[in-house]
Amino acid sequence: MAEKIKLYDDSKCTACRGCQLACKQWNGLKAGQTANTGTYQNPPSLQTNTYMMIHYQDYVDAQGDVKWLFRKEACMHCTNAACVTVCPSGALYYNKEFKTVGLNHDKCIGCKECVAACPFEVPRYDAKTDKVYKCDMCESRITNGLDPACVKACPTGALKWGDKETILGAAAKRKEYLGAVASTYGDKFVGGTHFMYVLKENPAVYAGLMKDPKVPFSVIAWKSWLKPLSLLAAAGVVGGSFLHYVLHGPKRPDPEPNDEKTEGGK
Amino acid sequence: MKKGMIKVTSGYERFVHWMLAISCLLLCYTGLGMMYQELNFLGAITGGLKGLKVLHNFTGVVFGVALLLAIQMWWKEAGVFVFPEDLDWFKTAGGYLWHVDKVAETGKYNPGQKMFFLTIALFGLLMFVTGFFMWFPDKFPLGVEALRWIYTLHAFGFLVIFAFFFVHLYLGTVGNPGTVQAMISGWVTRAWLKKQHPKWLKEMEHEGTLIVSDGKK
Repeated sequence: MAEKIKLYDDSKCTACRGCQLACKQWNGLKAGQTANTGTYQNPPSLQTNTYMMIHYQDYVDAQGDVKWLFRKEACMHCTNAACVTVCPSGALYYNKEFKTVGLNHDKCIGCKECVAACPFEVPRYDAKTDKVYKCDMCESRITNGLDPACVKACPTGALKWGDKETILGAAAKRKEYLGAVASTYGDKFVGGTHFMYVLKENPAVYAGLMKDPKVPFSVIAWKSWLKPLSLLAAAGVVGGSFLHYVLHGPKRPDPEPNDEKTEGGK
Repeated sequence: MKKGMIKVTSGYERFVHWMLAISCLLLCYTGLGMMYQELNFLGAITGGLKGLKVLHNFTGVVFGVALLLAIQMWWKEAGVFVFPEDLDWFKTAGGYLWHVDKVAETGKYNPGQKMFFLTIALFGLLMFVTGFFMWFPDKFPLGVEALRWIYTLHAFGFLVIFAFFFVHLYLGTVGNPGTVQAMISGWVTRAWLKKQHPKWLKEMEHEGTLIVSDGKK
């Protein structure tokens, strides 16, 4: 088995939201009451029971033409995933075969550290269950040789699931076909994501799309530097104290002329 | 208490000290279990990491209360440097690092102790505030970019407090024989007080506030 990527091509997407529903069905997620915000987009953002959704955006291009931009938002399955780095319990992990990012709810302790760390702001915390939720690329399906539910449901071929090299090649070809302003998104960030886009417009015009997602520097300082330094500092102090004791010696009370014991408190 | 022993701490002082110390150690233990995946086994006492998280959060509340009591109790005596005597003490490093004929005499708390108090007070508050927002990140007002640094600051505070704990442990026990009694029974010998806090001893003698055991109980 090899590393795999899920590709979303917005030029082929009709925003039918078959994928959104298939995701809910496979993962057993309930629908929720929502609010009409004057758009077809529903719900307004990812939820604890909505691992993926289609964004709707009215876009006026340079010629003054109104276009509808669609975008599927879900976990990007980073190669260098900040969530996996910060997770204290190992609940978030890399799938060994596909390099996607899985989530074991039995291990999740609801610390919410991944929610803040994710450069794509994807994980959602549910106070009721005290656990975090996100797309796991239908791990139960892909490990059994099936496509992720969203890919399976897509009627237009906007979603593909395949070997990394195949998908990267297909994405590059499609970008070329779509012309100058088209681009690929995801492959250039965080070591390459395992969910990536072909976008028919410049990524900068898509609302809510992260401009330069990367593992936050605060996460690197915290996990790569302060973690080992904390133990080093403590070990240094313990070692230093020992050396102080044997080289300099403790500070004992001066012996009193008529006092047998020199130590206080005894 | 044996005749001639001198009382240096009140029961309230020792209570607050140990409330702070025990909650701090429990926070270190539970925090370590979550900070290092290699130490996840520490969660065994709480039936898993989730229990460790809950224990950590609520111990943090106890620590916060103890910290406020400690600051309220000690800041006047241990939170303010007095010159020039404290500077003289620094120049000799309190006699801890090289041979010094005569260590500068300072009051109830020497500048080393003051530095320790100030570090614990400041970093303790930092831990309390950052810990609060780690517990309730949706209450954080400054956006996700700043929120991410909360976690890093919490880890930095741990580095400082964990290292200082061992300094405190050494200097409070074998590094200064007799000292630990100040936080256990509250009574120390005159020789200890004369060596460690000569000026304070003189002050108490002068003011008549020295409590010396008559050995009857």
